Amino acid sequence: MKRLLHVELTRLRWRRAVLLLLLAAVALPILFGVARVLGTRPPSAEELVRVDQQVAEETARPYVQKELERCLTKPQRYGIDADATDLQAQCESNVLPRPEWFSYYETLDLVQERDETGLAVVALVSVLLLLAGTTLVGHDWNSGSMSNQLLFESRRTRVWTAKALVVFSVSLLLSLVVFSGYWLALWAVARSRDLPATTGILVDCLQDGLRGALVAGGAALGGYALTMLFRSTVATLGVLFAVAVAGGALIGVLGIDEQFQPQTNIAAVILDGASYYVPVPEECFGPRPPTGDVCDEQKVLPATNGSIYLGSFLVLAGAASVLSFRRRDVP
Amino acid sequence: MSDLVIETTGLHKEFRSRRGGLRVAVQGLDLAVNRGGVHGFLGPNGSGKTTTIRMLLGLARASKGSMELFGHVVPDSLPAVIDRVGAVVESPKFSPNFTGRQNLLLLARTIGAPTTRVDAAIETVGLTGRDRDRFKSYSLGMKQRLAIAATLLKDPELLILDEPTNGLDPAGIREIRDTIRDLGERGVTVLLSSHILAEVQQVCDSATIIGNGRLLASGRVDELLQGGAAAVRVEVPDPSAARGVLQSAGFSVAAASGDLPGLLVESETPADVTRVLGEAGIWLTSLTPVRRDLESVFLELTQADTLGHDRAQEGGA
Repeated sequence: MKRLLHVELTRLRWRRAVLLLLLAAVALPILFGVARVLGTRPPSAEELVRVDQQVAEETARPYVQKELERCLTKPQRYGIDADATDLQAQCESNVLPRPEWFSYYETLDLVQERDETGLAVVALVSVLLLLAGTTLVGHDWNSGSMSNQLLFESRRTRVWTAKALVVFSVSLLLSLVVFSGYWLALWAVARSRDLPATTGILVDCLQDGLRGALVAGGAALGGYALTMLFRSTVATLGVLFAVAVAGGALIGVLGIDEQFQPQTNIAAVILDGASYYVPVPEECFGPRPPTGDVCDEQKVLPATNGSIYLGSFLVLAGAASVLSFRRRDVP
Repeated sequence: MSDLVIETTGLHKEFRSRRGGLRVAVQGLDLAVNRGGVHGFLGPNGSGKTTTIRMLLGLARASKGSMELFGHVVPDSLPAVIDRVGAVVESPKFSPNFTGRQNLLLLARTIGAPTTRVDAAIETVGLTGRDRDRFKSYSLGMKQRLAIAATLLKDPELLILDEPTNGLDPAGIREIRDTIRDLGERGVTVLLSSHILAEVQQVCDSATIIGNGRLLASGRVDELLQGGAAAVRVEVPDPSAARGVLQSAGFSVAAASGDLPGLLVESETPADVTRVLGEAGIWLTSLTPVRRDLESVFLELTQADTLGHDRAQEGGA
């Protein structure tokens, strides 16, 4: 088995298309991270001076001063109590231009990043690793070299397992490094900007990264298993595309709970639970709504449920793939 | 211990077509190949040769029947014997983007063979200097050589070669033929499936001929060449007149096979043929005794089998 693992690892290393996909799985999150760091960078001193100047110029304009006077004379129109002791301050706050009107700066919020870019990065890397898994073995079928491999190792389950182990472990390791790097970099940047970035937040982010790596490894393994089943990269991608489109539509048309949507389950696994919405009975909007959680529109799907959902598909694809590879003739 | 290297009994393979029908590729094939020497495996296209080889190597499942390699039942015990078997099945199948050397290295590492064996195999098949080129840039002949090099990585006791000279130039064919003969003499058992019957006759010690998935004949090549009627090929100025005269005298006459001119006349005594034609005033341009070769045996057997098969199908219909 050790020999086979070594062979499959070498095969992966020598296959350029797979290497390019792995490279993209590293490069794209880096680009993503760099974009976030740049997009949330604090304003420079020159920018602050420029904004202050713009605020001062705008404040000095007659129509702004007129507006301020109107507020001071008729504060009720501006939603301010006429007897307020800080009337001047309240009116200035309501009427005068503010720095953020002239410059929008988004701060780097790690908690928010987890729900947004964190999920996007995992999804992106998972798709790339799925493609790498299918490409690696699709090439074996396409070139017919699978039969040649079996002339040197006839135990088909071993061959399947060795390839699967290499696909899964390489994907898991790579995505773990990428996600950990991504969160550590963002955390370090947040700390350097004196933004809220406690060790607790970092641990949460790294745990997301670990679960994300499992999802990415699972995606690669799933892509591999399906390609061993369909014996073609194109067929596998076609089937996945059809399932993604038709499956999602079917779930929507049949009115099945959002908890059965793949994306909800993926998010639940990565984020350790994900919110989804359910329709509630009419009575909930009446004068005497039922007690309990029947009227809660928002539910939480635990990570365990998401893992069972995704794991079931993976086990199903894997079992079908192994059985088919063991029994069917190899061209 | 049995001296048979390959043995199949009642081997049967059916393919299910997409329309739901069944196509029988191999039906009840009994194949026996003794240890040592070169054994020819002959049959027309679609006769079931490659399917049989693929079943022996575990690439296809038999529908019925049993198979043994070195006395081990396959495919169950294939892992125990696969290291002793080298095989080229149909066209050479390697990763096109890897170099020839990379392809061999991966296979060698699978069985734990040292890199020196890769170098030796490359040298044996004459690919030195091109081994670091990508497989997809190889000519068909070079691909064939690489496939043979792959079989040598195992230092096999049994070599199964399915059309190994496909795409090779005459010099390459000769080299491969010499390699096969040499391997046979060194004690390696070679099962050679080929269409080039003259070559099989030159190289093989024994042969099996199959048609429509059934065994038609098997034995030593010299035994297979025995039997059948003796014949002479005659050339005359007016073949149609000569044919009429000979047929009236009770001879069996046919057009000479292949590109050869003249008539093929079955006769033990060529003197009778010259006498009959001379009496009719037809003078021979040439008369050549025809020696039976593997090609004629093959054609006799396979044509008769095809005829029988067609009649059976018509009867069934």
